[in-house]
Amino acid sequence: MKNKTTLQEIANSTSGWLMGNGPEADVVFSCRIRLARNLKGFVFPPYAQPFVLKQTAEKILNSVRKSNYFRNARVINISELSPVEREFFLEKHLISLEFIKSEDYRFLVVEKREIISLMINEEDHFRLQSIFSGLQLQEAWQLINAVDDELERNLDYAFSPKWGYLTACPTNTGTGMRASCMLHLPGLVATQRINGVLRGISQLGLVARGLYGEGTTPQGDFFQISNQVTLGIKEEEIVDNVGKISRQAVEEEKKAREILFRKNKTELKDNIGRAYGLLANAYLISFEEAMDLLSKVRLGFSLNLLPKVKNIRVLNELLFLIAPAQIQIKEGKELSSFSRNELRAKIIREKLRE
Amino acid sequence: MLCQICGKREATFHFKEVINGEVRELHLCEVCAKEKGWDKPFFMPGFPLSNLIASLTDIEIPFPAEEVETVRCPICGLSYEDIKKRGKIGCSSCYQVFEKYLTPLLERIQGKTYHSGKIPQKGKVKNGLSKQIYELRKELKEVIKKEEYERAAEIRDEIHRLEKDEK
Repeated sequence: MKNKTTLQEIANSTSGWLMGNGPEADVVFSCRIRLARNLKGFVFPPYAQPFVLKQTAEKILNSVRKSNYFRNARVINISELSPVEREFFLEKHLISLEFIKSEDYRFLVVEKREIISLMINEEDHFRLQSIFSGLQLQEAWQLINAVDDELERNLDYAFSPKWGYLTACPTNTGTGMRASCMLHLPGLVATQRINGVLRGISQLGLVARGLYGEGTTPQGDFFQISNQVTLGIKEEEIVDNVGKISRQAVEEEKKAREILFRKNKTELKDNIGRAYGLLANAYLISFEEAMDLLSKVRLGFSLNLLPKVKNIRVLNELLFLIAPAQIQIKEGKELSSFSRNELRAKIIREKLRE
Repeated sequence: MLCQICGKREATFHFKEVINGEVRELHLCEVCAKEKGWDKPFFMPGFPLSNLIASLTDIEIPFPAEEVETVRCPICGLSYEDIKKRGKIGCSSCYQVFEKYLTPLLERIQGKTYHSGKIPQKGKVKNGLSKQIYELRKELKEVIKKEEYERAAEIRDEIHRLEKDEK
């Protein structure tokens, strides 16, 4: 990227939604809503010629510049980014896996707190997203709805009364909305109740998904609940459904944590204490190991087993700071895996001492 | 357990997705997970496991064989065959041109074929309920001009009722 200082600034600031100040933040890591929008009369990005992408990008950026919500926003040209720089924005939840491979006339617009952002010319002409800490889907919807209204003043959306907002993929047609909650469910995983709970809650056109540990490579017991259906349902209903089901998962997780605490208190304390000990004293640590240990420490914090950890924000920040591209951008250069492991351990030691 | 993509290496990444009570699992080795960009799913909001599973099992989309290659969208030039191959629609006008293929497809994916959510501010005057309100407002102006106040009150109540419905 041409402007390295911008990147450094972003690397050194904490995303607003990582503060851990939302309701139920010890279980609900974050919640997110995204809206897919296209412009009337323009070919959708998967088939569009570069000159069309240029036109749509200009129109959208023009509308963004007139918006109050983006007054402090940065506009980042994806094609100017190196692979590590692209990875950096992916890790920060600001761009998608598809976007990372994209070429000319693709832009990321992100306001300073990183609560609202926009991907231009991804699969749809643009995708607007808002991310909040904890379980605040209603708030995320109110905000994104207002931003959408403001952007629309200077844009003509592809819309049909029958099918709603028209999108490149039929899985988004209608509201173009995906609402999701990222849940931290170590209790349900440890008590082996996760499968039953996920099966029970995945109704009403919702999806629950995650990566679960089996032996060596757990990645922190994070699961995501989101809506599958986007057509024939009102935005408020989607928000309500995803929110209600997430709340149920939160209740189940709390029960599981209580059971763990009651039944195996000493083992649990030992496990969490060891995880903290490793993190606080290691000099070389891989991303996977750090994720796994941080998940345990996060659980320990919410059970009041770790008086040394002051707030959940430190742990949330760490979950991001330890990712490979974050470390390299912060350091200002590409690093070998060994150097990354060394720096990662240093970042964790220092952060836990804060 | 072996990787479901290469079938050679041991799977160390275990993904789980539950849709409508049905649990689907996907087991990948580190190499294939990396190749798909799936080695760090925590950092991918909305990672599309169902898309990956679909691409592995190749879900059939039913459509009639004739016409699909000859009929083309006048705006983007795509045929339904092109759309089906890529799984992506070409532009807003494709939705009209290929309506008869897209209706059953959307019904299968979404369960419904009618939008009931938000309407763009600009579109409000042109669409459905909003159009009715728009027409009634025009009529209201007319009757007030003609000093037909009883009728005006009726229309006003009707507008209030429709506006409530719309919310």
